Amino acid sequence: MSDVVIIGADANGLVAADVLARAGHQVTVVQEERTPQRTMGWVPPQLAADLHLSGLTMACPDPWLRAPLGDGTMLELWRDVARSAQAIRRVSPRDAEHWPRFCERMATLARLLERLYVEPPPSLVDLRFALKLRRLGRQGMEDLMRLLPMPAAEWLDDWFESDVLKGALGAHAVRHLLQGPRSAGTAFRLLHYHAGNPPGVFRVPASNLAQLLRARSTAVREAKVSRIVVRSGQVSAVVLDGGEELRASLVVSAVDPRRTLIDLLEPGWLDPDLVRALRHVRSRGVAAKLALALERTPDWKTLTLAPSLDYVERAYDDAKYRRVSAQPWLDVVADGKSAEVHFQYAPHAQAADANIAVKLLAPHLPAIIDCKILPPPRAWPEGQPHQAELSLDQALWMRPLPELAGYATPIKGLWLGGQAMHPAVPGVAGYNCARQMLRGA
Amino acid sequence: MKAYDVIIVGGGHNGLACAAYLARAGRKVLVLERRERVGGAAMSEEVFPGFRFSVFSYVVSLLRPEIIRELELARHGLHILPLESTLTPLANNDYLAQWSDHDRNRRELARHSPRDAEAYDEFGLLLHRMARAVKPLLSTAPPDPASLDPRELFDLLRLGRYFRGLPEKDLHALWKLLTMSAADYLDEWFESEALKGTKSASGIIGTLLGPRSPGTAYVLLHHYMGELDGVFRAWGFAKGGNGSVSAAIAAAAQAHGADIRTGAAVAKVLISGGRATGVVLENGDELRASVVVSGADPRRTFLGLVGEEHLPEDFVRSIRRYKFRGASGKVNLALGELPRFTCMPQDGPPHLLPHLRGAVSISPSVDYLERAYDDAKYGEISRRPYMDIVMPSMLDPSMAPPGKHVMSIFVQYAPYHLNGGWSDARREEFGNTVIDTLAQYAPNLKSAILHRQVITPADIERIVGLSEGNIFQGELTLQQMFFLRPAPAWSRYRTPIHGLYQCGSGTHPGGGVMGASGRNAALAILGRRA
Repeated sequence: MSDVVIIGADANGLVAADVLARAGHQVTVVQEERTPQRTMGWVPPQLAADLHLSGLTMACPDPWLRAPLGDGTMLELWRDVARSAQAIRRVSPRDAEHWPRFCERMATLARLLERLYVEPPPSLVDLRFALKLRRLGRQGMEDLMRLLPMPAAEWLDDWFESDVLKGALGAHAVRHLLQGPRSAGTAFRLLHYHAGNPPGVFRVPASNLAQLLRARSTAVREAKVSRIVVRSGQVSAVVLDGGEELRASLVVSAVDPRRTLIDLLEPGWLDPDLVRALRHVRSRGVAAKLALALERTPDWKTLTLAPSLDYVERAYDDAKYRRVSAQPWLDVVADGKSAEVHFQYAPHAQAADANIAVKLLAPHLPAIIDCKILPPPRAWPEGQPHQAELSLDQALWMRPLPELAGYATPIKGLWLGGQAMHPAVPGVAGYNCARQMLRGA
Repeated sequence: MKAYDVIIVGGGHNGLACAAYLARAGRKVLVLERRERVGGAAMSEEVFPGFRFSVFSYVVSLLRPEIIRELELARHGLHILPLESTLTPLANNDYLAQWSDHDRNRRELARHSPRDAEAYDEFGLLLHRMARAVKPLLSTAPPDPASLDPRELFDLLRLGRYFRGLPEKDLHALWKLLTMSAADYLDEWFESEALKGTKSASGIIGTLLGPRSPGTAYVLLHHYMGELDGVFRAWGFAKGGNGSVSAAIAAAAQAHGADIRTGAAVAKVLISGGRATGVVLENGDELRASVVVSGADPRRTFLGLVGEEHLPEDFVRSIRRYKFRGASGKVNLALGELPRFTCMPQDGPPHLLPHLRGAVSISPSVDYLERAYDDAKYGEISRRPYMDIVMPSMLDPSMAPPGKHVMSIFVQYAPYHLNGGWSDARREEFGNTVIDTLAQYAPNLKSAILHRQVITPADIERIVGLSEGNIFQGELTLQQMFFLRPAPAWSRYRTPIHGLYQCGSGTHPGGGVMGASGRNAALAILGRRA
């Protein structure tokens, strides 16, 4: 008999399962939908070591960003900072000169995030947190304090003049967020996606983390969860759709907190104020995913269509009024003869228009044979992969709510370990959650 | 010639407040004002014969009560008349009114949404509590968090201890206010579009951001900060216009022995050996003092009066990237008769028209404001602008001839960086847009207009000297607040030049006719804590 049930077999659920199993728990994972092929996010070395992950691959395409320049050529940004600077020189010598220093300054801040990400979130008034900040030095602290609340557009304007460069970077900063690059608080997302990457790479790497762990776990049940049972304030079982009850004294939910605590939990256990706050957690999906079939394999891996900050901002203007962008920004990742397109903005429950994407992409791609829109995974509430939008008011000690930021819930034995939890990096949230459980045990 | 200890450049309300505090402490102070009258943007003028206007800033809300007390402003002629209501006319000939009378307010809100009426009091209590938590910061010189100076470290620890003393729940609520958009924040509380629109409008004032942009929720607090100091000092008019605020502070400064010279434009701050030694006027006169305080905004002060050759490179870079982006304009109207808002009962003597004794806000919904911002974001005047309208002559009949009225319309957005630039034609176009929009709610407006004065951000810059016409001497966004205002490491009113200080709204806490910057600067110069 197992004593731990994990809801969700994505990276977070599987990492939590592995950490707990290593500590001697009997763990059952309930898999509600297929484990994703690729895990989008940084895998911290500490996590890889703790889980003895061999065969882990984690990579960004190189060049990690390709953006058309209008004259048929591409601006290419590489893992190699100097090579990127060389490429940028063609659009702006001034920007090329700034690029290495920009990368260095961002990397300094990203190192801080990396340290913060493999721990539970600090408390807002934690003295140790304040000391960590001071260790950044004057320049680092200044950068951090300015950058956190800033619009990505303003931060990029500080450094660069090229529309193509700023547009592409600005687009990646607002990936999966219902804000435009001119909205305050978007600059820090550039940093979030940078964490774990080498200097000069601002795209989330893809890994095989979840697949590795899925192959490893034995006790997996493919089923849907319908209820979490509580007896005298302590979690006692998870009920599956068919009515089968899995008894457990510990439950980790990798699905979103609203579903966990409002839909799955038997009503009546939570403070009404907490329920109200949970209903206000914002998780608005803004992007559609398209699968393309191509006539031949392109000779590149990635392409970003976001020619300027204004272009991205106008795309957002449509979404603000709950419309699909007439001119969306697009990001293509190719894999052989197929390609996946990130289409933003397409507010959840609004069908993205595949024709627009095809029209915008046609000049840059081999002939497109087929294009279809992929539905978002079930684990993404309203189509939002972060489960709770990653904005400053829902980050760190606020994620997803201050009352829940420590991964524990008011129900004894029920824990939250999904993307809605700090640090919103797949696998790492589950890792932090499981370790926090073991500390408490 | 009289010798001065301190020369203050600029006779705006902050410069005057700084002067008053320094003179009160026994310093010999001279205030130099470029224009023929003091007050800066807080000034009244008889623009048209018989019609007096608070030409630029037009309400008093945040003027620090300690300044009113310590400088005895009431004795020096300051008299504040409270604004009693806010009326938001709606497109369907309905309206949303907010009254100072609690029961009446509740009934009105309930008419739109019983749920909102329920939530309103709780919302108010929370914001009161937050405002109370933030208030002590207004009179604090922000310490530099990277400093090793023992005095600043001590202040940092004091600040840390202060925050640690607050309940954690309040800290989180405060964090939300600092980081959320007004629209998202209000969505958590209310459902009525008109209420959310009107409330979120306070979050966008003076800033080129829309209500859906994070960082706009914080300014909601300001409204409650005014109320904290007692209803009488909540949003209101100064009798005689906002120039009376400046006049009262000037009178207090003079009573303490400060000299004020108008028509004295400063060309340069004199610097020798990294020290400020005085100023040189545009007419060539040199005036000496060991302390020079600038009330001008950071760009004018450092890139103009000082000159970058005297400043460290990093600092110059910080000042260069400090954002102004003026976004607001003003339309002042002399009216032959009262406007009749079709959504409200129209007849009766003025004293029976309570909605005209308060503010009228053209902010029917969050989307309305956001669309106004969309235009400005791409460099255009809002086709349907947000407006905050008051009629001072309803409360202070001395502002207009008998039976006639003055109307002050604060408008957003009118971007300083207008596509093609500002010209006389564009100014008229802006004025027409405002009048046309307002006339939809009050059709008799056009025929009631006797005179109109239209002020664009370019005009504000030219007349008052505020860079890019930003009414706060620089945007009040988080990355330009507290210890980052106006530049990292230089938030304590000092500057890289020995003996040169800043006291304008471009320093903490900045913005509004508050006077806190002037007072804090004076205390910093005197080596005192607030």
